[in-house]
Amino acid sequence: MAAPPNVSLSLSSRPENVLLVRETLTGVAEAIGLDSTVLNDIRTASTEACNNVVLHAYAGEEGPLELGIFIGASMIEVVVRDRGAGIRPRILSARDAAPGIGVSVIQALAQRVEFSCAESQGTEVRMEFATPGTQALEPLPREDLALPAVAQAEELATTLGIAIAPTRLASAVLPRLLCVLAARAQFSTDRISDAQLVADALVAQTPEAIGGSHLGIGVSVAPRRLELRVGPLRTDRASWRIVNSAVAGLSPVVEKLTNQYGVVAVGSSEALTLRLSDQR
Amino acid sequence: MRVETSSERPKVVGKTHDEQQMEEIEMAAAATITPKPRSLPGAGEDPQQLFVRWQQREDHQAREQLVRQFMPLTRSLARRYGRSSEPFEDLLQVASLGLLKALDRFDPERGHSFQSFAVPTILGEMRRYFRDSGWAVHVPRGAQERALKVRHAQEHLSSEQGRAPTVNQLAQYLELDGEEVIDALQATQAYETMSLDTPRPGAEEGTLTYGETVGREDERYELIELDATVVCALKHIPQRERLILRMRFVEDLTQTEIAARMHISQMQVSRLLRRSLEQLRVLTRATEGVG
Repeated sequence: MAAPPNVSLSLSSRPENVLLVRETLTGVAEAIGLDSTVLNDIRTASTEACNNVVLHAYAGEEGPLELGIFIGASMIEVVVRDRGAGIRPRILSARDAAPGIGVSVIQALAQRVEFSCAESQGTEVRMEFATPGTQALEPLPREDLALPAVAQAEELATTLGIAIAPTRLASAVLPRLLCVLAARAQFSTDRISDAQLVADALVAQTPEAIGGSHLGIGVSVAPRRLELRVGPLRTDRASWRIVNSAVAGLSPVVEKLTNQYGVVAVGSSEALTLRLSDQR
Repeated sequence: MRVETSSERPKVVGKTHDEQQMEEIEMAAAATITPKPRSLPGAGEDPQQLFVRWQQREDHQAREQLVRQFMPLTRSLARRYGRSSEPFEDLLQVASLGLLKALDRFDPERGHSFQSFAVPTILGEMRRYFRDSGWAVHVPRGAQERALKVRHAQEHLSSEQGRAPTVNQLAQYLELDGEEVIDALQATQAYETMSLDTPRPGAEEGTLTYGETVGREDERYELIELDATVVCALKHIPQRERLILRMRFVEDLTQTEIAARMHISQMQVSRLLRRSLEQLRVLTRATEGVG
């Protein structure tokens, strides 16, 4: 089986979530030293693919929007997937007359584009971009990607799932995503910054605590409140080590900056739950 | 190749009422749909005819009509790069230049639609512009200015309402959208800190600089620190950062409160906290590795 993506995002197909995709790509660029012209192309093409899902996949309803990013030597592949009608109607229209401009933008910006759609299984757009001169990341083991248990249909609108590996990538991507989500939860800039510090701490402390290679996090957003579920984690008190880990005699960052924390069982492993709120 | 003259520019950028309406519709859709050319203003005439008139007879009126017809396409392509910290008008100029090139080079005989030829040409023009303007290597000036504006707004709103503002409040105050404010917040993390010799804002000439303020405050805190467990790694962190860490993680002050005491911005507090925690982690790991 093929190597899992370096970054997976599972989102709801609402317009504001496309920003999370763009921020993720910016974080990836920062981690691998990607030049900003190429980043702009990748962001633009990926935005088009996501907008297609937002506008056309679910006929005005919301549904899953999935993003996968594979980072190779001097190339990045971005995969945007939905479970609905997706880009298909527009590909069909491309055959007879003018293609939708979304599709022509993607085709103009990516080195290689592949559209695939199966009956009742949604549509997938795979876009490959050349990224000359970027640093390679360590290869990931070919394993089943264990995504955090999130995105139940009823939670989809307010919850998203993230899985990232390796740590270098997570340290550039996760703080950005939490910044956007904290802003969406109407946090003050004070607490937005705290959310970033929590993200930094999680990235620093989870490599020893996670079972596989990916750091998995589910985040739910409510007014003035973020709920994080970090895992699956190993069951040997890994969660508590994350919460209690302190540097240089200061109070433990995660414990200090979150309002509530706990541990829940997830199958044979466990997950750390954290709540950040902004009480004003 | 034709060279665009400056007298043609206003025509390219100018908006008809219909185009403005079109733009509003496009904005509302927040996305990607481009109407079919036949629904566009000035579309009374068949583009094929217009191409013949322009390319074979250099009929400038025909070219103007083509520009009008495809302006919404051009504008919507320019808008796709609208997050790139370049002013939108500049991007639109560059995209329009791409449109003019496409009008000159398009070969109607080949049987493809003009749009499928124009999109890559216009995008190519914009990418070339980014490369030529050195945009890729420098921190874009627009972004830097915006980050500064956001910082000032943050200070203003914090002191006005007694607590740090939300992104929405900043966006409203600065008439930016949320994404631009978030970008600015992220960008500040990357910029180098201001020098400690910078005079404090509002300070009279010849009075305290940041460095001096820190020194004075620190005397007080150094006493407390003597009682605390002195951890090896903490010694490697500059005084000011040590002080900020202590205020946040021992005294439980908010970042805004720390910013007020240190006479720096909350964004700087945020950046210094992130950086010094990262340094401490590296130092701690190094120490553990040796032990």
